[in-house]
Formats: sequence, structure tokens, C-alpha cells
Amino acid sequence: MAEFDSKVPVSGMNNHVFEACHHVVKALRASDNNLDANLRKLLSDLEMHLSTFGIADTKVEDAGFSEIKKRFKEAVKRIRSWETNQSTMFEAGLSEADQFFQALYDVQTVLVGFKALPMKTNQMEKDVYNQATVALDIAMLRLEKELCDVLHQHKRHVQPDYLAVSSRRKDIVYDESFVSLDDEVIVEASSHEDDEQISDFYNSDLVDPIVLPHIKAIANAMFACEYDQPFCEAFIGVQREALEEYMVTLEMERFSCVDVLRMDWEDLNGAMRKWTKVVKIITQVYLASEKQLCDQILGDFESISTACFIEISKDAILSLLNFGEAVVLRSCKPEMLERFLSMYEVSAEILVDVDNLFPDETGSSLRIAFHNLSKKLADHTTTTFLKFKDAIASDESTRPFHGGGIHHLTRYVMNYLKLLPEYTDSLNSLLQNIHVDDSIPEKTGEDVLPSTFSPMARHLRSIVTTLESSLERKAQLYADEALKSIFLMNNFRYMVQKVKGSELRRLFGDEWIRKHIASYQRNVTNYERSTWSSILALLRDNNDSVRTLRERCRLFSLAFDDVYKNQTRWSVPDSELRDDLHISTSVKVVQSYRGFLGRNAVRIGEKHIRYTCEDIENMLLDLFECLPSPRSLRSSRKR
Amino acid sequence: MAPATEHQSSFLSRISRRSQVVSMEVNHEQELEELEDFQKHVAERFTELLPPSDSPESYPILSIQWLRKLLDVFMSIESEFHSVLTTNPSQISKPPLDKIVPEMLDRIVKALDICTAVVNGVDSVRQIQRCAEIAVTALKQTPLSDGSVRRAKRALTSLLAALNADKNSGSSGGGSGRRSSTDQWSSFGRRSGGSGGGGGGGGGGCVSKNWSAAKQIQAMTANLVAPRGGEASPIYIMSSVMVMVMWTLVVAVPCQTSNGLMVHLPLPKNQVWASAAVSISERIGEEMKRKETRCGGLMEEMQRMERIGLKLMEFSEGFRFNGEDDVTAEVAEMEETCRKMEDGLEVLQRRVREAFHRLVKSRSEILEVIDH
Repeated sequence: MAEFDSKVPVSGMNNHVFEACHHVVKALRASDNNLDANLRKLLSDLEMHLSTFGIADTKVEDAGFSEIKKRFKEAVKRIRSWETNQSTMFEAGLSEADQFFQALYDVQTVLVGFKALPMKTNQMEKDVYNQATVALDIAMLRLEKELCDVLHQHKRHVQPDYLAVSSRRKDIVYDESFVSLDDEVIVEASSHEDDEQISDFYNSDLVDPIVLPHIKAIANAMFACEYDQPFCEAFIGVQREALEEYMVTLEMERFSCVDVLRMDWEDLNGAMRKWTKVVKIITQVYLASEKQLCDQILGDFESISTACFIEISKDAILSLLNFGEAVVLRSCKPEMLERFLSMYEVSAEILVDVDNLFPDETGSSLRIAFHNLSKKLADHTTTTFLKFKDAIASDESTRPFHGGGIHHLTRYVMNYLKLLPEYTDSLNSLLQNIHVDDSIPEKTGEDVLPSTFSPMARHLRSIVTTLESSLERKAQLYADEALKSIFLMNNFRYMVQKVKGSELRRLFGDEWIRKHIASYQRNVTNYERSTWSSILALLRDNNDSVRTLRERCRLFSLAFDDVYKNQTRWSVPDSELRDDLHISTSVKVVQSYRGFLGRNAVRIGEKHIRYTCEDIENMLLDLFECLPSPRSLRSSRKR
Repeated sequence: MAPATEHQSSFLSRISRRSQVVSMEVNHEQELEELEDFQKHVAERFTELLPPSDSPESYPILSIQWLRKLLDVFMSIESEFHSVLTTNPSQISKPPLDKIVPEMLDRIVKALDICTAVVNGVDSVRQIQRCAEIAVTALKQTPLSDGSVRRAKRALTSLLAALNADKNSGSSGGGSGRRSSTDQWSSFGRRSGGSGGGGGGGGGGCVSKNWSAAKQIQAMTANLVAPRGGEASPIYIMSSVMVMVMWTLVVAVPCQTSNGLMVHLPLPKNQVWASAAVSISERIGEEMKRKETRCGGLMEEMQRMERIGLKLMEFSEGFRFNGEDDVTAEVAEMEETCRKMEDGLEVLQRRVREAFHRLVKSRSEILEVIDH
């Protein structure tokens, strides 16, 4: 490869000095015919060299000059031959490239030489100079093309696999009535899993490293010939186009503020999720590699390397920033919490990378813009989090929830909370200075995890407390005391199960769990008492007459029918809890009944006894089956 | 068109409740005084933007420096508006505010996008500046040779193409494909001559697909009518100022736009606060008609570059080595214009971004006032 140092021309050296030098040489040659061969050669080389600068002696001048002219002509020929050659020099091989650079060097030497001296009146020399400038320009243009072609052809693709498919998953949808959700909330793939994949791609090569020496040679040549500006423009152009293509493969769409504010939730959710992925790949992978490439090619010209990098990356970075700015214009609806959290988390994470990408003054506006965006996202996320509680508190029902089952609000809140432990660090950092009342007293000790009293944990408990209050209010809508208890029992049980069965356990802590188990147990007791105490009271006989006994039996059957009719339509979704209820109810009721019948069946007479113990036992199993309509009592009896 | 706010249904009930309460508290006289002060402020600031009548050339409208001043004026008026809002929130709760405030919020959001487009547009002006600098470097070579002129011609071709790119725009697609034939090659290969990336010229990005500055400005002027009864509310005034400033920026800076920019703004001609603004906008409208361009890019420095560029191109095409022609004066002027751009564009961009953030703040403040 030709070393293209920019030879310092002898510009500024006085013409007289040359002439004097030349005379000295001549004098030396003439004065002593006993010069040894080496010295003679040295003198004649020196003479020739001096004569390239067009000094007085026309005879020597012509000789030296024609030598130069010959080389120059060959150089121009070589350069022109490449002018129309569509393939790259790189393909043609190193020696071809070297020869091109050598030709360029020869042309540049002529130019520099001519410029060193005041313009000669010799028209021939002027014409040579002119031709040289054209040859130089042709060469520069050709090198520019070479730069773009080689960079383009040797592009490497940087594509972490998980990007290839962007599935649109159904997310939790909030609306006024908390439309029912599946309990099987699809847990999305943790964005943290992607971290391992990304780090594999750090310091990727954006172009095949094998072309780098060639590209550097082009840079050095063009800079030496003062064509640095066109080099940079071409370089920026190719690289920027490559980055834009990459953005297209990432399917990163650009949205205006108007678009973002008008988007429906599903689309916005998708766009935010995409942003969260893309911003990391762009800053940590692609731009880091791009900066590296700029340094490798333009490292010798430091401030230019930085300037080029900024020009290349500006557009992509700004489009990422713009989306972030647009998103924080939206109001802080609670269902957006998770998306805001992940955007905030990512934005905080990449600040280090952004600082490394734009450490200087010239990139400071981009760097500062990212820091500001991260702060805005932090504020927005915190506000949304706090509003989550408000939304729960203000959720008012007008009618009691059908069947006493698990309210949509409960499902929604608990399933949503289950998603939050993934963002523990971010939430703790956002909430650390925001006070909230806790529902359990702070404790320390061996059996207490520190996570249980982290800012996030306190806030989550507070959210659940708000949920509880809301549920209490909803429970008041039931006229039936028993159903009220069932409702609260179901919902509290659900909450406990969700906490126990997930990451939330470490946050809520055992004491909270204990308290809430006790709470729903109390509701079980309440239920049993409200439903059965008065009914079972009928079975406590006290030396009654046959008529009273028969009446008692009849009333019992009626009351039982009533309970059956109603409570078969109630719901206890938790199967374990339902079984427990069946068992404990059965034990109580069947026992009392058996005792009653045992004592009094004969006196009452079979005709007046509607149900056997077995009947009662079987029918009790129908309770809480959440039947859509009252089952016919007769048919159940036939079981 | 539905305003881009999510507060419609409950807004009405809240506002009507509030206005009943507030109307009992308000000090009408104080309010009028404040309104008058605000109007005076607006009139004064805009008057500062008028070129001095004795030497109109010394202070060209639509130059980079003037545009910076325009933004200063905007920020200053916005600050005044902010204090009017905070000292007297009832200003925005008087009927028929149920329509006007959402409309203003909608306009603000559109203005945000325009700021983004202008920032992108300034980047493409930078690109144009770089073309010009290459031409200057080439033509400053002494002695001027065929080689330098070749180089200059390439740069000038790209320069002139970029300056006229918007006039051919209509496409908002990506950059034109790579060209590899040498005779079409230029330093700006892929992006010269076409409106790359939907932005104006090769430097700028795009706001979004199919976004158009002209359309947004048009939408912003919808329903911008002076309230009857002759008493202009601060909201109306602020809205008008905002529209005027955004429109001016789009006229000056090449922005992503598909169709023609409107030439007349619906500003009230008979209200004192507006007279300077009207005068300026009419001036600008005339300039648009004179240049027969409806696509922006009328920045004074850009126009100058085009003028000089054409001259230099003519010179380059007729160039003979050892000829007599001398373009040192034009080259010097081009260099000076480049310097102005170098000094001024970045600051201009910064001011536009500041305006963006101020508008965001303003919007959230209004939303907060509404929410309480």
C-alpha cells in the first residue's frame, strides 16, 4: 500500500536559494574532474531534483522537466483508466490500488511543485499544472466513489435474532368497567432476558474489517489533497443511509406528536414496546459500533471523526428522542404504567452509553436531551403510578357484583401488580422520597426480608389497601349479609393467593399474608353464621310437641330450599376454598340435621320429612357452583 | 377535526361549574387592565421585528438573525401569557371556552410537530452550507484551474439542487437509490436533486410519513377567529401569535411539506396588538409570491446562496484556464454567507428546541388549570 504522506512542499523557499544551490552544484561539477562516481551521481541527482522546480538553466530544466512530465503522463493515464471502471480497486487487488495511489502521489507532487514557485510565464508549464488539477480532481472523485462502493458492498448486518419477530401480544386493557380478564395473564418475556443477547453484539463490525486499511488510505489521500470536505460528505452519506436502512429493518416507525396523542391504546402500547427494544440496540450496539468505525477511519483527524459521527447518527437519535418527548405528552392513565416504567428503565440504563457516544461539546445537546427525557419519563411514570391508586379509589360500582365472585377490579389490580416486581429497581428509585402510609408496622429481624420494607413494597401495600377499601364499599351494595361475606372472602382470598404465588410474596411479607388470611377466615365465619345460625336454630328441639316438630321440619326445609336456590348461584371460584366451605358447612348442617332426625324422625313421621340426611349432604355440594339459573330441586333429589 | 386532547367529556361539566363559581370572584377591572397590558406587550415586541424604515436592507426579514429575534419575541409573549394565566385563571374559563381551549391545546400540539420539522429543516440547511463551503474552497484555489472548477461545479450542482429540492418535493419517500455511474456522481450522490427522506434536502429527518407542514399550518388556522364583541381574549391572541410564528418559520426553513403553504394568515387587521404582526406577515406573503414558491426555504441566506450560486455556476461553465474572469467578490460573499450560517444555525436550532419545551410546559399548565 502506498504511503501517502503529505510531503511538505518547498513552498516559501526563495527562488534565489535554488539558483544559488544550482550554481554551486555546477561549480562543483566543473571544478573537479576527479569526483568519485558516488559523489558524481549524488550531484547529478541533486541537480535533477533542483531542476524539477524549474530553475534558470533551461537545458537542465528541460531534461529534468521531461522526466517529471513522463511520469506525470503515465499517472494521468492510470487515473483516467479508473475513471470509467465500475468495479472497485479493492476488488482489483492491493497492487492495483497501490499503483493508483502512487499515480495520485505523482500528480500531487507536480502540483505541489508548481505551487511552490511563482507562476512561470511558460505556457507549457501552466498547461501541465492545469492538467494536473484536472487529473487530481478525477482521482478524488474516483476515490469518493471507491469509498462509497466499498463501504456499501462490505456492510455487515447486525441483527440480534429476537428482533426478527415482533409479536403483538394482548395486553391488559383498562376500560370503565374493567372488562373481565383471563386470569392467565400472559407474562411477557422479560426485557431483561434480551440483555444477554445484546451484549453479544457489542463492538460489532459494521463493515468487514478487511476493507479498513483501504478506506483509511483513501481518507489519508483525500485529506492530503485538501479534499477532506467531500470525503466527509460522502462518508456521512453512505453511513447515514446504512443506519436508516437499519432503522427500517427494526421497523422503527416515526410518529408525530399529533399521531402519538391520537393513537389508540393498543397501537401506542406496541410502539412504546418497540421503542424500548430499539433504543437499546441503537445506542448500545449500532451507534457504538459506528463510533468505533469513525475512529478507525478518521482517528487521525479527531475532531472530524466526532463531527462525522454526530452527523451520521443525529437523525436516528433525534427520532428516538422525539418519540419519547411525544409519549410524555399523554396523560398518565394507569394502564400505561408498565409501558412507562419500561421506557423509563431503558432510558436510565442507556444514559451511560449516550454519555460515551457524545462526550464532547459538539454532541452535548444530544446528550443533554437524553438526560432530560429520562427525567421526564421518571416524573411521568411516578405520576402514573400514584394515579393508579386514585383510579382504584374512584372506581364506583352501582350494582352489587353478580354471584359474589372475584371482582374485575381485584383481578386487574392483582395481575397488574404481579408484573411490577420486574421493575423493582426502577420503582424503588422513583418512589424513594414519596411517603406513604403502610398497612403493617415496620419490623426488622432475621425473618424479615429487606425487600418487604422497600419503598416499592410500601407503595404496593398501600395500593392494595385502597383496593380493599374499594371492595368494602362494593360489598355494602349487597342486601344479603351472607353474600357480602362471600364476596369479601372471595376477593381477599384471591389477593392472598396472588401474593403468595408470585414475586409479590417477598414484597408483601409474611405478616401481611397472615393478616389477610385471618381476614378472609373471618368472612367465612360471618357467612356461616349469617346463613345457618337461624336455620340450625330450628333444629334445636326442646321437648316440643309433634306439631311444633313438624312445623320446625317444614320451616327447615323451606329455609334450606331458599338457601339452596340462592347460594347455588353464588360463586366461590377458588376450588380449595370451595371444598373447605362445603366440608365445614356439611359438617355443621348435616350433623345437626342428623341429630334432629335421629331424635324426632319417628314422631314426625316420614310423610312430613322432606329430605334425608343424604339429600342434604348431596345438595350442599351444589352450593357455590355458580349455576346460571336455579336448579330444579326435584331433579337434584333424584341424584 | 377532533382536537388532540383526551379531556372532552368531563371538561364541559367542569368548566361550566367553574365559571359559575369564578364569575363571582373575578375583578373585572383588573382583568381588563391585564388584557390591555398583554396586548401592548405583543404590539411592542412585534414592532421590534419590523425593519427600520430608513434602512430596510440592514435588517432583512427572514435572515437567521431575524429568525432568532422572532423566537425571542415568541418566548417573551409566551411568558407574558403564562403570567396572565397564573394570576387570573378565569381568563381561560370564560365562555365560550368550552371550544376554544381544546382548540388551543390542539394547536400547541401541531406547533410542537412544526418545531420538530424546523429543527430537521435547519439540519438540511447545514447540509446546503457544506455544499457551499466546498464550492468556496474550490474557487479560492489560486491559480484557478480546470480541476478546481470541476470540483466547484459539482458542489454548486448539489447546492442548487438542494436549494430547489422542496420545489420538486411531493414525495416523502426515502432517499433516491444509489447511483454508481461516474458521470452522475457527486459528493452528495444519493441525495442530491431529490427530496431525500422526506425532509428538505439530504440533511434532515422526517417528522412522520406523509406529514406536511403546510397542512398543519392550515389546520392551525382553522377556527382562528376573533371573538365577537371586539374584545380579544389572551387565548385568541396567544393562538394567533403562535400560528404566525410557526408559519414564518416554515416559510423560512425548508420543512417536510407536501403542498403549498398558505400566503395569507387570518390575522385581524384592525386590532392594535396585531398591526406589526400583520405588516410582517404581509411582507412575507409578498416575498412568497415574488419567488413563486409555496414550499418554504425562503431564508435570506439561502436566497443569497442561490443567487451567488447561479452566478458562480455560470462562471464555472464558461471558465477558461487563464481567462480574465474574476469571481473573488462573489466567492467572498458566499464565504461570508457560509460563516453567517455557521455562526447562526446552531443557535437558531437551539432556540426552536427551547420553544418546543416551552410549548410543552404551556400545554401542561393549561391542562392543570382545566383539571382543577
